[in-house]
Amino acid sequence: MNTNNNVYTVLYTALIVVVVAALLAFVSQSLKGRQDANEKAETISQMLTAAQFGTKAEFQKMGNAAVLEKYASEIDKAYTVNVAGEKVADLSLDEVFSPKLLKRQNYNIKGGANATGEPELPVFEFKDGTTVVPIYGAGLWGPVWGYVAFEKGSSTIKGAYFDHESETAGLGAKIKDDPAFQAAFAGKQAAFDKAPVFQIVKGAEGTLADNQIDAITGATMTSQGLDAAINTWFAAYAKYFLGNVSQPERNECKCPSCPCEDCPCDCHCTPGQDGCHCPGCECPDCNGNMKHKEE
Amino acid sequence: MNAKLKETILNPIFKGNPITVLVLGICSSLAVTVTLKGALVMALSVIVVCGISSLILSLLRNTIPGRVRIIVQLVVVAMMVILVDQILKSFEATYAIDKQLSVYIGLIITNCIVMGRIEAFALGNKPWPSFLDGVANGAGYGLILLIVAFFRELLGSGTLFGIDILNRFGYEPNNLVILPPFALILLGCIVWVQRSIQKDLQEK
Repeated sequence: MNTNNNVYTVLYTALIVVVVAALLAFVSQSLKGRQDANEKAETISQMLTAAQFGTKAEFQKMGNAAVLEKYASEIDKAYTVNVAGEKVADLSLDEVFSPKLLKRQNYNIKGGANATGEPELPVFEFKDGTTVVPIYGAGLWGPVWGYVAFEKGSSTIKGAYFDHESETAGLGAKIKDDPAFQAAFAGKQAAFDKAPVFQIVKGAEGTLADNQIDAITGATMTSQGLDAAINTWFAAYAKYFLGNVSQPERNECKCPSCPCEDCPCDCHCTPGQDGCHCPGCECPDCNGNMKHKEE
Repeated sequence: MNAKLKETILNPIFKGNPITVLVLGICSSLAVTVTLKGALVMALSVIVVCGISSLILSLLRNTIPGRVRIIVQLVVVAMMVILVDQILKSFEATYAIDKQLSVYIGLIITNCIVMGRIEAFALGNKPWPSFLDGVANGAGYGLILLIVAFFRELLGSGTLFGIDILNRFGYEPNNLVILPPFALILLGCIVWVQRSIQKDLQEK
């Protein structure tokens, strides 16, 4: 057989490509369920790490099932918000925003040809009040993403975890591997009313503002990429956070003669009753004292 | 087993080792040797890719059009690498390692050992010897990987396979060992040792 004539060559390559493509598509489809489960557990363990429920290594040792269990026991509610800060939809326990979904929302935030609609930004509230939001953007070689946890009802960062696809090992990869870099976020403030909201800068300890942390030496591009990712996403969340943070639980009481001081909730006057009570509180005259509820 | 087949298997392990003698696949051997676990998974992946690609291409060797032979080789090798990557991603035990090895699993496609053995051996030999040649070359590569990783994990983290060995005696892990340049230094030492044993490799 003459294997060198043109028709044979073209047919041969076409055939081999089709066979290989079919095989890979089949394998990819049949393994998809398992891979998604792994990715979901990975995403959850990254969020839990950011929210300081443990270290990444601990979650890795726990295994997928235990990580999901931990998440189910700690999560209070999860929902998406739009850029106006309004709640859009509730998220079920299964819906955690893996990098793939973050990528789509990243397009939506930035607008342009790749956008598929209005951004839907996930917010994860844990039972201890910690709020976790994701970030996503482009590093030097590929995407970088992460999860940032905020203290209850404030713009103070509690913790952060970052991951990447292909940043340089030992340099850019430090956003994931260097515990000191992630620890530097704890206690910092996101200035949601300013631009930029947060900065990763070249600076020494002591000279950094509340919304600045020191960049990684030798990884300028990754640091800048992460900085851009954080700012793009934080800016999108700004209205949500400003709405939540500027309205702490101590709302001004609207009753003309409210007896409660430092009312911990929106107090309501009930006609025919003296004093105020909190929504959800059964007793008529707890005077805003939530401890009554437990009694 | 005849002598030729034995030679096919044993040669790549020591005398014709792909890393220390042919100096192929250096790049990934610097990148994935920080931990023994990573090195082991990488070694097994290369063995599988190298062995099965050689087998498939040896079976196809008489049908492959000469002018597109490299492309056909690449398609088969790429297919094997993607398969290995997909399978590693699917299991809980290997998912974390796959993440840690990240791009380097995908980069097995460009590992010169795989293409080199297919081009030099599989296309001119029967399937069984080709398969053994691929596996043996993967094993030769893996052996060096494990030796390098052994020293790097022991001295760099004080552990072996993640189990504490030196740290309990107050050992302070050496960061230089973790960085890629040290892998090159170690590799140099291995080449030095091999060449002093095997005198015929020394240049006059």
